[in-house]
Amino acid sequence: MTTLAPDELPIAQRNAARRRLQLLLAPGLGWLVVFFVIPLIIVLLYSFAAPGPTGQVIWTFSFDNYVTLFGKDLYFNAYTRSLVIGLQTTVLCLLIGYPLALHVVLADPKWRTVLLFLVLIPFWTNFLVRTYAWMLILSNNGIINGLLELLGFAKQLLYPSEGAVLVGLVYGNLPFMVLPLYASLSRFDFTLLEAGSDLGGNGWWRFWHIMFPLTLPGIVAGSVLVFIPTVGQFVVSDLLGGAKVDMLGNLLQRLFTRSNPPNWPLGSALALVFMFFLTFIVILYFRNTTEDER
Amino acid sequence: MIDFSVSNRTVGGERHTVGRRVLGAHAWLTYIFLYAPIVVLVLFSFTKDSFGVRWTGFTFDWYVRLFNDTRMMRAAGNTLWVALVTTIVATVMGTLMAIAMERYRFRGRGGLDALLYLPIVIPEIVMALALLAFFSFSFGIIESITGVTLRMNIWTVIMSHVAFCISFVVVVVRASLKGFDMRLEEAAADLGADPRTIFWRVTLPLIMPGVIGGALLAFTLSLDDFIISFFTVGPGTNLLPVEVYGRVKRAVTPAINAISTLMLVLSMLLIFLSQFVQRRANR
Amino acid sequence: MKGIYRGLLALLVFGLLAACGATPAAEEAPASNEATGETSTNDGVDRSKLSKELYVYNWTDYIDPTILDDFEAEYGVKVILDNYDANEDMIAKVRAGGSGYDIAAPSDYAVETMWREGLLQEIDQSLLPNLKHIEPSLLNKYFDEGNKYSVPYMYGITGIAYNKSIITGTPDSWSLIMDAASASQYKGQFSVLDDEREVPGAALRYLGYSLNETSPEAMQKVQELLIAQKEFVAAYNSSDVNRKLASGEYVMAQAWSGQAMQARNGLGDEFAGNPDIAFFIPKEGGMIWMDNMVILKDSPNAYTAHVFINYLSRPEVAAKNTDYIGYLTPNKDAIELLDPTVRALYAEGFAPDAEVVKRLEWAVRNETTAVFSDVWTAVKGE
Repeated sequence: MTTLAPDELPIAQRNAARRRLQLLLAPGLGWLVVFFVIPLIIVLLYSFAAPGPTGQVIWTFSFDNYVTLFGKDLYFNAYTRSLVIGLQTTVLCLLIGYPLALHVVLADPKWRTVLLFLVLIPFWTNFLVRTYAWMLILSNNGIINGLLELLGFAKQLLYPSEGAVLVGLVYGNLPFMVLPLYASLSRFDFTLLEAGSDLGGNGWWRFWHIMFPLTLPGIVAGSVLVFIPTVGQFVVSDLLGGAKVDMLGNLLQRLFTRSNPPNWPLGSALALVFMFFLTFIVILYFRNTTEDER
Repeated sequence: MIDFSVSNRTVGGERHTVGRRVLGAHAWLTYIFLYAPIVVLVLFSFTKDSFGVRWTGFTFDWYVRLFNDTRMMRAAGNTLWVALVTTIVATVMGTLMAIAMERYRFRGRGGLDALLYLPIVIPEIVMALALLAFFSFSFGIIESITGVTLRMNIWTVIMSHVAFCISFVVVVVRASLKGFDMRLEEAAADLGADPRTIFWRVTLPLIMPGVIGGALLAFTLSLDDFIISFFTVGPGTNLLPVEVYGRVKRAVTPAINAISTLMLVLSMLLIFLSQFVQRRANR
Repeated sequence: MKGIYRGLLALLVFGLLAACGATPAAEEAPASNEATGETSTNDGVDRSKLSKELYVYNWTDYIDPTILDDFEAEYGVKVILDNYDANEDMIAKVRAGGSGYDIAAPSDYAVETMWREGLLQEIDQSLLPNLKHIEPSLLNKYFDEGNKYSVPYMYGITGIAYNKSIITGTPDSWSLIMDAASASQYKGQFSVLDDEREVPGAALRYLGYSLNETSPEAMQKVQELLIAQKEFVAAYNSSDVNRKLASGEYVMAQAWSGQAMQARNGLGDEFAGNPDIAFFIPKEGGMIWMDNMVILKDSPNAYTAHVFINYLSRPEVAAKNTDYIGYLTPNKDAIELLDPTVRALYAEGFAPDAEVVKRLEWAVRNETTAVFSDVWTAVKGE
């Protein structure tokens, strides 16, 4: 061990701390600046440009795209449907994912890893193929309708429908909820619950007043990871909704690569408004739910 | 040496067994939900029905065909490679950043906080086209300065995947750093451990569930990414999601189910392997 | 916890092993213009000018893979094929520059977009003697007069495919899927294409307009018609219509002729056909479109690209390719070389005869037709 004169220590420590901070931040931050911030700036510039007759980007500077965006009520159906479906998906994932993560954390240590991996394994098959498998299960001659018939019920039109989209989205996003919850719950000190019961609280009280607040960071992280991709996706709503359930992601996909001609500037403006709106909400959410319990 | 023991998890007495049973039942149901399509998918990779929607008898033909399909096999290999490199790079960088964000107060932390959420918030198609523009732009600059012509290839895909995976790792690792008992590190420091030792022996083991969760998330995201891969890959490099997307557009054949089953078996094999190694190490 | 580290290590090693075999293959040496040996044959191709590789960017499953092998066997040029699923995706990559491809296959309007933006090389027709086999009525189209930039590859028409065993009689109108009485009868059992020009286009023809009509009144009527239709449609589907018709999931669909033909004939060894599938162009008229081979501006292997395009235009190669793909060949001398069952279907209405041709229309897509995006968004958002 090196010896330091006592009065040198704070400065030396401070410098060491600063060096450590730089070391921790530099690689990731550098990467993000080059491969994310710069591309994002390009998108920002697009959003002030104009679409060319063949779909290229013409460099001008105007707020036309933003005006169009807020002036056109054409898009509001997609906005509201996206928010509603996104919220439904998030709540369902939380209701399914929390008890599951708890079960994994409480399991015998030698099974814990296996149980966690079991949540993820389905997601190492191809996303589209999984979604197609749901189509087989839900389709008119599919497994569920086969079971219904066998039990003497009438066949139901399960797919394509908004309900089928919801099933597909919950299915596809569950691990994004379970992983942060697992990380959070595995740090939870379960003896606190015992203390709670010594204080006479019942099961629900102990969950609500002890476990829930202490695992809130995981809940928040999971909700964000589920909600956002849900709103921006388009493949599930195309396949399980028969391309009839139009969400924000579908709108963006059309603006960028399916319209003739495509309109990248308008698409960029829409994407940016959407992103900053969501980031704002997310940060507010994090601030209010996680900072005060520190 | 490295052991994260959560002590005494089986709390309380009989009152808890009911709750535990309910939890167990819920877990079973959820696993059934998770595996129902997988069972269908695996089953229909063996069906004789070429539509892949009915069970008309067992056949191994689709697998034979798959193994002879060099395009598909190469795509699977490329995809695994991309996912692996992405996971390693993104997990290391993301974990370091998460520690910095949770442990230090510094100027610009709030802004960085926002920046870190953007790759999660950005719709994939926007990031894909932005990266496409970025690569073409920067390759143009490089060419005009050095005269070297660069092209997109498998590495541009990896760079792009890392860029969106870092944030996911940061979010998950930060969740496990919150409520982390700092006194453990202080205690280690009091005992004379230097920062490096503290990191490897105390901090990392304690946040390991978060790190692993983040790594798994990155792996899963990269393995399945279609849009960003499509726009950032160069000519002649097949990636599985791109290949499958194209083929599925025409028809989901049992052969497509077969490649998915293979990827599944491969991942299961990894788990068993890791468990096996673990058991042996513990003995 | 040790176990998890080990597990990750195992994962790493395993993945590396799995990936090793694959990565080097994907990064083959870039194409060089070295001579391939032989130089003396009588087909007019200077083999010393051929490159070793040719990068082709084509629609998914839009070429018989054995043709690529045959081409390599004959000329020693390895064709590296990548796929896309929309003109706009392909153009985005080519527009960014340095895409690395030599050849692409844009549809009609996309050819115009590409040459206008300077993304294409002019074609040297003296290197394409097989151009003489192309049906003259499919040359000199609006998107490329004089065929300076493009060579017809495949074309198709858009009409209605239906199952004869369920829809009896001889339907001949778009009213089958557009009229509420008819559409409601088959609720949830039919699809229309997921395309902002095809569906409003069909509605326009049904209402008596041109496909390219953009007046606000017409757009308003189209929008109302399509919104009324939406609740009866099973899905907006452009991709696996062929299978769903063949398997009986759909009893009818707005479809491209090739999809209908695949539903009728089956697709290679992937699925069996359904003999009850028929196809017609409604009396109100339908759409015709064509995909074309083009050479990209920054292609370093233009000579080889010409040789490849010329090869694809040989009648026997075009016929083989058409048998595989199921769309219509613009190669007039290939038609008699087609598989007899395919030729029979051509006669049955899967290809246009002189009468049908008169009611086919090309769909222009440019700044004036941007209004279709709004109509489509309104319909989709409903």
